[in-house]
Amino acid sequence: MKIMTCPLNGPRNISEFVYGGQVKAMPNSQNVSDADWAHYVFYEKNDVGVVLEWWMHSPSSYWFIAERHNATDEIIRTYPADELFKQRVDFVPDEGAS
Amino acid sequence: MSAHLDPIFESPLGGLSHEGNISIHDLTKRHRWGLRGKGAAETLRIQGWDIPEQPNRLVASKNETFVMALSQREFWVLDPHNDTAALAMSNDFTRDAYPLFCQSSHAWLVLKGCQTSALMAKVCGVDLRPEAFKVGDVAQTQMALISCIIVRHELAGNDVFSIFVDQSYGEYVLEALLDARREFL
Repeated sequence: MKIMTCPLNGPRNISEFVYGGQVKAMPNSQNVSDADWAHYVFYEKNDVGVVLEWWMHSPSSYWFIAERHNATDEIIRTYPADELFKQRVDFVPDEGAS
Repeated sequence: MSAHLDPIFESPLGGLSHEGNISIHDLTKRHRWGLRGKGAAETLRIQGWDIPEQPNRLVASKNETFVMALSQREFWVLDPHNDTAALAMSNDFTRDAYPLFCQSSHAWLVLKGCQTSALMAKVCGVDLRPEAFKVGDVAQTQMALISCIIVRHELAGNDVFSIFVDQSYGEYVLEALLDARREFL
Protein backbone atom coordinates (compact mmCIF):
# COMPACT_ATOMS: atom_id res chain seq x y z
CA MET A 1 0.00 0.00 0.00
CA LYS A 2 1.38 3.41 -0.95
CA ILE A 3 1.16 6.00 1.79
CA MET A 4 1.03 9.79 1.43
CA THR A 5 1.32 12.18 4.36
CA CYS A 6 -1.40 14.80 4.48
CA PRO A 7 -0.24 17.95 6.34
CA LEU A 8 -3.60 18.08 8.15
CA ASN A 9 -4.47 14.41 8.68
CA GLY A 10 -1.17 12.55 8.73
CA PRO A 11 -0.20 9.39 6.80
CA ARG A 12 -3.04 7.95 4.75
CA ASN A 13 -3.59 5.40 1.99
CA ILE A 14 -2.88 6.97 -1.42
CA SER A 15 -6.43 6.03 -2.47
CA GLU A 16 -7.69 8.84 -0.22
CA PHE A 17 -5.94 11.48 -2.35
CA VAL A 18 -6.83 13.23 -5.59
CA TYR A 19 -4.26 14.79 -7.93
CA GLY A 20 -4.89 18.46 -8.73
CA GLY A 21 -2.25 19.38 -11.32
CA GLN A 22 1.09 21.15 -11.26
CA VAL A 23 1.69 24.23 -9.15
CA LYS A 24 2.26 27.06 -11.61
CA ALA A 25 2.83 30.78 -11.28
CA MET A 26 -0.42 32.52 -12.21
CA PRO A 27 -0.07 35.45 -14.63
CA ASN A 28 -1.67 38.75 -13.66
CA SER A 29 -5.28 38.36 -14.79
CA GLN A 30 -5.55 42.12 -15.43
CA ASN A 31 -3.06 42.32 -18.28
CA VAL A 32 -2.49 38.78 -19.53
CA SER A 33 -3.30 37.89 -23.13
CA ASP A 34 -5.93 35.23 -23.87
CA ALA A 35 -3.22 32.97 -25.32
CA ASP A 36 -1.05 33.23 -22.21
CA TRP A 37 -4.04 32.62 -19.93
CA ALA A 38 -5.02 29.55 -21.94
CA HIS A 39 -1.43 28.34 -21.74
CA TYR A 40 -1.52 28.78 -17.95
CA VAL A 41 -4.81 26.92 -17.60
CA PHE A 42 -4.32 24.06 -20.03
CA TYR A 43 -0.59 23.35 -20.43
CA GLU A 44 1.84 21.64 -18.09
CA LYS A 45 5.59 21.36 -18.44
CA ASN A 46 5.81 17.58 -18.25
CA ASP A 47 9.51 17.64 -17.30
CA VAL A 48 11.00 14.59 -15.63
CA GLY A 49 12.23 15.25 -12.12
CA VAL A 50 10.98 16.70 -8.86
CA VAL A 51 7.77 18.64 -9.46
CA LEU A 52 5.42 20.69 -7.30
CA GLU A 53 1.87 19.43 -7.40
CA TRP A 54 -1.54 20.18 -5.92
CA TRP A 55 -3.12 17.23 -4.10
CA MET A 56 -6.35 16.95 -2.14
CA HIS A 57 -7.13 14.67 0.79
CA SER A 58 -10.60 13.68 -0.32
CA PRO A 59 -12.31 12.79 3.03
CA SER A 60 -11.43 16.20 4.46
CA SER A 61 -11.39 18.19 1.17
CA TYR A 62 -7.99 19.58 2.23
CA TRP A 63 -5.78 20.93 -0.57
CA PHE A 64 -2.02 20.97 -0.09
CA ILE A 65 1.24 20.88 -2.03
CA ALA A 66 3.46 17.88 -2.63
CA GLU A 67 7.01 17.67 -3.96
CA ARG A 68 7.12 14.46 -5.97
CA HIS A 69 9.57 12.88 -8.38
CA ASN A 70 7.36 12.09 -11.34
CA ALA A 71 9.58 9.26 -12.64
CA THR A 72 10.28 7.36 -9.42
CA ASP A 73 6.96 8.43 -7.82
CA GLU A 74 8.83 9.22 -4.61
CA ILE A 75 6.94 11.76 -2.51
CA ILE A 76 9.65 13.98 -1.04
CA ARG A 77 7.62 16.43 1.02
CA THR A 78 4.06 17.61 1.56
CA TYR A 79 3.10 20.92 3.13
CA PRO A 80 0.18 23.37 3.52
CA ALA A 81 -0.46 25.66 0.55
CA ASP A 82 -0.02 28.76 2.69
CA GLU A 83 3.74 28.11 2.76
CA LEU A 84 3.76 29.20 -0.89
CA PHE A 85 0.66 31.32 -1.20
CA LYS A 86 0.66 34.09 1.39
CA GLN A 87 -2.02 36.29 -0.08
CA ARG A 88 -5.53 35.79 -1.33
CA VAL A 89 -6.00 36.60 -5.03
CA ASP A 90 -9.17 38.54 -5.72
CA PHE A 91 -10.27 38.71 -9.34
CA VAL A 92 -11.48 42.15 -10.30
CA PRO A 93 -13.95 42.37 -13.20
CA ASP A 94 -12.71 44.08 -16.36
CA GLU A 95 -13.69 47.73 -16.49
CA GLY A 96 -14.84 47.27 -20.07
CA ALA A 97 -16.89 44.16 -19.34
CA SER A 98 -20.65 44.58 -19.08
CA MET B 1 -35.82 29.76 16.01
CA SER B 2 -32.68 30.58 14.07
CA ALA B 3 -33.06 31.21 10.37
CA HIS B 4 -29.97 29.04 9.86
CA LEU B 5 -31.32 26.01 11.65
CA ASP B 6 -31.59 22.74 9.77
CA PRO B 7 -34.83 20.85 9.94
CA ILE B 8 -34.42 17.54 11.75
CA PHE B 9 -34.81 14.93 9.05
CA GLU B 10 -35.98 11.39 9.47
CA SER B 11 -33.05 9.01 9.41
CA PRO B 12 -32.82 6.64 6.42
CA LEU B 13 -31.56 4.10 8.98
CA GLY B 14 -34.75 4.27 11.02
CA GLY B 15 -33.06 5.50 14.20
CA LEU B 16 -32.59 1.88 15.25
CA SER B 17 -30.14 0.30 17.68
CA HIS B 18 -28.56 -3.06 16.90
CA GLU B 19 -27.63 -4.59 20.24
CA GLY B 20 -24.86 -7.13 20.84
CA ASN B 21 -21.31 -7.36 22.21
CA ILE B 22 -20.74 -4.50 19.86
CA SER B 23 -23.85 -2.43 19.51
CA ILE B 24 -24.51 -0.04 16.64
CA HIS B 25 -26.79 2.92 17.23
CA ASP B 26 -28.23 5.30 14.65
CA LEU B 27 -27.94 8.87 15.95
CA THR B 28 -28.65 10.50 12.60
CA LYS B 29 -31.66 12.34 13.97
CA ARG B 30 -29.69 13.78 16.88
CA HIS B 31 -28.91 17.43 16.55
CA ARG B 32 -25.67 18.85 15.09
CA TRP B 33 -24.50 21.87 13.16
CA GLY B 34 -21.23 23.39 12.00
CA LEU B 35 -19.35 26.54 11.16
CA ARG B 36 -16.61 27.11 8.62
CA GLY B 37 -14.43 30.12 7.89
CA LYS B 38 -11.59 32.22 9.19
CA GLY B 39 -13.79 33.56 11.97
CA ALA B 40 -15.42 30.23 12.94
CA ALA B 41 -13.28 29.59 16.04
CA GLU B 42 -13.72 33.12 17.32
CA THR B 43 -17.46 33.05 16.71
CA LEU B 44 -17.82 29.84 18.72
CA ARG B 45 -15.66 31.17 21.56
CA ILE B 46 -17.77 34.33 21.78
CA GLN B 47 -20.88 32.13 21.99
CA GLY B 48 -19.38 30.27 24.96
CA TRP B 49 -18.36 26.98 23.33
CA ASP B 50 -15.22 25.16 24.38
CA ILE B 51 -13.30 24.35 21.21
CA PRO B 52 -10.32 22.04 20.53
CA GLU B 53 -6.93 23.70 20.21
CA GLN B 54 -5.85 21.44 17.35
CA PRO B 55 -7.60 20.21 14.20
CA ASN B 56 -8.84 16.60 14.26
CA ARG B 57 -9.72 16.77 17.94
CA LEU B 58 -13.00 16.80 19.84
CA VAL B 59 -13.75 18.29 23.27
CA ALA B 60 -16.76 18.13 25.55
CA SER B 61 -18.52 21.48 25.74
CA LYS B 62 -21.52 22.99 27.48
CA ASN B 63 -24.75 21.06 28.14
CA GLU B 64 -23.29 17.61 27.32
CA THR B 65 -22.42 18.56 23.77
CA PHE B 66 -19.18 18.06 21.89
CA VAL B 67 -17.27 20.40 19.60
CA MET B 68 -15.20 18.77 16.88
CA ALA B 69 -12.47 20.58 14.93
CA LEU B 70 -12.05 19.26 11.39
CA SER B 71 -9.52 21.95 10.48
CA GLN B 72 -8.47 25.27 11.92
CA ARG B 73 -11.46 26.79 10.15
CA GLU B 74 -14.15 24.13 10.43
CA PHE B 75 -16.04 23.04 13.54
CA TRP B 76 -19.05 20.83 14.22
CA VAL B 77 -21.19 21.00 17.35
CA LEU B 78 -22.63 17.59 18.25
CA ASP B 79 -25.63 17.22 20.53
CA PRO B 80 -26.07 13.44 20.95
CA HIS B 81 -28.76 13.72 23.62
CA ASN B 82 -31.27 15.76 21.68
CA ASP B 83 -33.19 15.18 18.52
CA THR B 84 -34.73 18.58 18.83
CA ALA B 85 -32.90 21.80 18.32
CA ALA B 86 -32.29 22.43 22.01
CA LEU B 87 -29.00 24.13 21.20
CA ALA B 88 -29.81 25.92 18.01
CA MET B 89 -27.12 27.32 15.81
CA SER B 90 -26.83 31.00 16.49
CA ASN B 91 -27.31 33.31 13.56
CA ASP B 92 -24.94 35.78 15.14
CA PHE B 93 -22.17 35.27 12.62
CA THR B 94 -19.19 37.36 11.84
CA ARG B 95 -18.65 37.82 8.13
CA ASP B 96 -15.91 35.18 8.15
CA ALA B 97 -18.00 32.30 9.49
CA TYR B 98 -20.50 30.34 7.47
CA PRO B 99 -22.99 27.71 8.62
CA LEU B 100 -22.50 24.04 7.73
CA PHE B 101 -25.59 21.91 7.50
CA CYS B 102 -24.09 18.63 8.65
CA GLN B 103 -27.47 17.67 10.10
CA SER B 104 -28.78 16.94 6.65
CA SER B 105 -25.54 16.04 4.87
CA HIS B 106 -24.25 13.25 7.11
CA ALA B 107 -25.54 10.10 8.78
CA TRP B 108 -24.30 9.48 12.35
CA LEU B 109 -23.61 6.00 13.67
CA VAL B 110 -22.25 5.11 17.11
CA LEU B 111 -20.35 1.90 17.91
CA LYS B 112 -20.23 0.73 21.51
CA GLY B 113 -18.57 -2.33 23.03
CA CYS B 114 -15.22 -3.73 24.07
CA GLN B 115 -14.05 -4.88 20.62
CA THR B 116 -14.97 -1.91 18.50
CA SER B 117 -11.32 -1.25 17.51
CA ALA B 118 -10.99 -4.82 16.21
CA LEU B 119 -14.20 -4.44 14.24
CA MET B 120 -13.07 -1.14 12.75
CA ALA B 121 -9.72 -2.68 11.73
CA LYS B 122 -11.69 -4.82 9.27
CA VAL B 123 -13.08 -1.81 7.41
CA CYS B 124 -10.60 1.04 7.99
CA GLY B 125 -6.84 1.36 7.44
CA VAL B 126 -6.20 3.86 10.27
CA ASP B 127 -4.95 2.44 13.58
CA LEU B 128 -7.95 3.03 15.85
CA ARG B 129 -6.72 1.02 18.85
CA PRO B 130 -7.03 2.95 22.14
CA GLU B 131 -3.24 3.33 22.52
CA ALA B 132 -2.96 4.99 19.08
CA PHE B 133 -6.34 6.69 18.79
CA LYS B 134 -7.22 8.26 22.09
CA VAL B 135 -10.42 9.74 23.47
CA GLY B 136 -11.01 12.99 21.60
CA ASP B 137 -9.09 11.96 18.48
CA VAL B 138 -10.73 12.49 15.08
CA ALA B 139 -9.78 10.73 11.84
CA GLN B 140 -10.98 11.99 8.49
CA THR B 141 -10.36 8.95 6.35
CA GLN B 142 -12.09 6.15 4.45
CA MET B 143 -13.92 3.10 5.73
CA ALA B 144 -15.37 0.41 3.48
CA LEU B 145 -13.99 2.49 0.58
CA ILE B 146 -15.99 5.66 1.29
CA SER B 147 -15.05 8.92 2.99
CA CYS B 148 -15.92 9.21 6.65
CA ILE B 149 -15.15 10.98 9.91
CA ILE B 150 -14.38 8.71 12.87
CA VAL B 151 -14.22 10.03 16.44
CA ARG B 152 -13.45 8.29 19.73
CA HIS B 153 -15.27 9.88 22.66
CA GLU B 154 -17.20 9.14 25.81
CA LEU B 155 -20.94 8.92 25.66
CA ALA B 156 -23.01 8.21 28.76
CA GLY B 157 -19.97 6.68 30.45
CA ASN B 158 -19.05 4.46 27.49
CA ASP B 159 -16.03 4.62 25.21
CA VAL B 160 -17.59 4.83 21.74
CA PHE B 161 -16.79 5.54 18.11
CA SER B 162 -18.96 8.07 16.32
CA ILE B 163 -18.91 7.64 12.56
CA PHE B 164 -20.15 10.27 10.14
CA VAL B 165 -20.70 9.41 6.50
CA ASP B 166 -22.50 11.06 3.64
CA GLN B 167 -26.22 10.62 4.28
CA SER B 168 -26.65 8.66 1.05
CA TYR B 169 -24.09 6.07 2.21
CA GLY B 170 -25.78 5.52 5.58
CA GLU B 171 -27.46 2.24 4.74
CA TYR B 172 -24.36 0.90 2.99
CA VAL B 173 -22.13 1.65 5.98
CA LEU B 174 -24.63 0.18 8.42
CA GLU B 175 -24.71 -3.02 6.38
CA ALA B 176 -20.90 -3.11 6.22
CA LEU B 177 -20.67 -2.69 10.00
CA LEU B 178 -23.35 -5.30 10.69
CA ASP B 179 -21.51 -7.71 8.39
CA ALA B 180 -18.12 -6.96 9.99
CA ARG B 181 -19.39 -7.51 13.53
CA ARG B 182 -20.79 -11.00 12.84
CA GLU B 183 -17.62 -12.66 14.13
CA PHE B 184 -17.85 -10.71 17.39
CA LEU B 185 -21.42 -11.68 18.26
